[in-house]
Amino acid sequence: MITITNIIKSYNGNTVVNVPQLEVATGEIVGLVGNNGAGKTTLVRLILDLIRADKGEALSKEKNVATSEDWKNYTAAYLDEGFLINYLTPEEYFYFVGKLHKLSRVDVDEFLQRFEAFFDGSILNSGKYIRDLSKGNQFKVGIAACLLQKPELLILDEPFANLDPSSQMRLIRMLKELPAQSRMTVFISSHDLNHVTDVCHRILLMEKGRIIKDIDTTADTLQELEMYFEV
Amino acid sequence: MILTLLSHQWKSFWRGRNAARSLVTQIFMGLVIAYLLASMLFLGLATGHILQKIFPGQDTVRIFCGLVLYYFFIDIILRFAMQELPVLTIVPYLGQNIRRRQMVGFLNIRSLFHFLNLMPLLFFVPFACTDMVEHSGKLAAAAFITALIFIILFNNFLILYIKRRTLINAWWLVGFAVAVIGFILLDFFHIISLRSWSSNLFMAILAKPILVIIPVVLGLAAWFNNYKFLLTNLYLDEGAQSEKEKSSRDYSWLQQLGLTGELIALEIKLMLRNKRPKYLLRFSLLFMFYGFIFYNKKYLSDPSMYLVFFFPALFLTGIFIINYGQFLFAWHSSYFDGLMASNVSIPAFIRSKFMLYNAISTTIFIITSFYGLITWKILIIQTAGFLYNIGINSVISIYLATYSYKAIDLTRNATFNYQGIGTVQWVYALVILIIPYAIYFPLAKFVSPWAACAAISGLGLISLLMQSYWVEVLTREFRKRKYLMLAGFREK
Repeated sequence: MITITNIIKSYNGNTVVNVPQLEVATGEIVGLVGNNGAGKTTLVRLILDLIRADKGEALSKEKNVATSEDWKNYTAAYLDEGFLINYLTPEEYFYFVGKLHKLSRVDVDEFLQRFEAFFDGSILNSGKYIRDLSKGNQFKVGIAACLLQKPELLILDEPFANLDPSSQMRLIRMLKELPAQSRMTVFISSHDLNHVTDVCHRILLMEKGRIIKDIDTTADTLQELEMYFEV
Repeated sequence: MILTLLSHQWKSFWRGRNAARSLVTQIFMGLVIAYLLASMLFLGLATGHILQKIFPGQDTVRIFCGLVLYYFFIDIILRFAMQELPVLTIVPYLGQNIRRRQMVGFLNIRSLFHFLNLMPLLFFVPFACTDMVEHSGKLAAAAFITALIFIILFNNFLILYIKRRTLINAWWLVGFAVAVIGFILLDFFHIISLRSWSSNLFMAILAKPILVIIPVVLGLAAWFNNYKFLLTNLYLDEGAQSEKEKSSRDYSWLQQLGLTGELIALEIKLMLRNKRPKYLLRFSLLFMFYGFIFYNKKYLSDPSMYLVFFFPALFLTGIFIINYGQFLFAWHSSYFDGLMASNVSIPAFIRSKFMLYNAISTTIFIITSFYGLITWKILIIQTAGFLYNIGINSVISIYLATYSYKAIDLTRNATFNYQGIGTVQWVYALVILIIPYAIYFPLAKFVSPWAACAAISGLGLISLLMQSYWVEVLTREFRKRKYLMLAGFREK
């Protein structure tokens, strides 16, 4: 699904991402962990063609993301509030995103019914613009809008950080079930080692822009990671 | 207490993010403001001589008095567009031990610190102190100045009151617009004469200074009215904004256009739901009346004026492209990451911008065609301006927008907000107005204005027909600078 070769990105002489080789197969759920400044978000942005690599390239389905726009058809991402159009109501935003993927209003409404519990009654018909929602609720809107696109590749940055405990559980369940049904590839970056080892098949540990560990998740992975982050 | 609150305001002004932005911009703004004030003062000092030159042998004081109410009428319109309600400033104080009456008093005094309150004094007082003293004596001049001050207060508090009302009930806005337009039309077609009202009123005050009681009472009444309204609605105008149910809206007529329609609908919501673009929109609408300054009978019969008329025509029909276009992509800065990662291809995005320009400029063109009622010649010049705007200026605007990397906060106030302004914006204004004029002027001067109009229209039309080619070119340009825009917009 994703191939990264020799990608380097630096700002003012500091290398923030330096990944010689990375392969993510279709259907894999990959977790990206690392302390602040390890280069997680930058790597994700490189995959989404939101920053230009100094060297190397990121391929999605064998096509360079910087030259072809095909990846936009099957990729959904939510990194931060910068992905939400904040002066729309949540419904308007969902319809807009749906429209970009040729979904009718009826399709969108039908899809959103499944999110009733996740939304907890505070998002749909709330009479608010997205900018007036709480941070957690904005996040829920972003995640739902991603899943609405039925993506083949889903990219989330820190999805657990702003959610309340029940919503975290629900999200974990969704992330476990959905790829199994549709062979969705998922790329998650997170600080929450518990959740990330719970959900992901494979963990990439980043430090100073490099991927220093690439582990297939087993029962011991959590411990291994905790050892690494121990201060 | 009020003094403490005012000192907080002073700090917030200097410590605000906008103020700290860059020293160069601050110095530049300072110079602009100083220039404006100085030219007002200079104009005020020179009024006597100017009036004598234009109307030799006539009573300059009488003519001067005729102008005053005109000024204050325009002042009302300007205030409506520019004056902000100092509301948010009191939120942190609501929970403190401060009496409501003090808070309202503070709000009222705070509203007086506005350059629109200073301008008329600079402009009118020098004349009052010189010519008027000579003409009718010191007491009369003092009465005149007192009258001025209270009319300023009247305008200030009247507009604040109306604006607060419009927040709660939009019909006030309609009523205000109808009243203003009605007034302009009545005066334009000489059904009423603001001028004779003005000169009668102020000449009467000069003759009997005691009559100054009229504006004094009006000013105090406006203040009192605003005071009472605020006292009972101190929370309400804050609440009216945030508690109102926001409803979803879809523009079904745009849906037929598919993706492009969807993007235009998004753009319309952007304009209607955010402070800064909304202000620009209101300003653009206001500028449609700009034509009345140029298109009047006296000028229209003067053939040499046709060299100049192209300017208002270009400006009127291109007002949207000029104003909105300078931040074409920057308007989306808060979610540009999301937009670029979403399933919107760049050519489709650019195409939607062209459609937006075409649609809105056409609407403005149709509305401003009412100037054609004055004479059909205006219609021809405006058609040329319109075609040039949607044909060529649209392309230039989108091209230059790809060089604008500064983020814009949509929710911030707009008056004197220089956030997002860079070199590109200055270049933009020049290129968009000067190039067409450079084509028009020599042709109009040495051949004929109609030949110039034909040439301008032709150029516009050809470029308009090439729009799909321009989309390709602009997509390439956009791609080149996409990452710069993304990086710039991420920096808040």
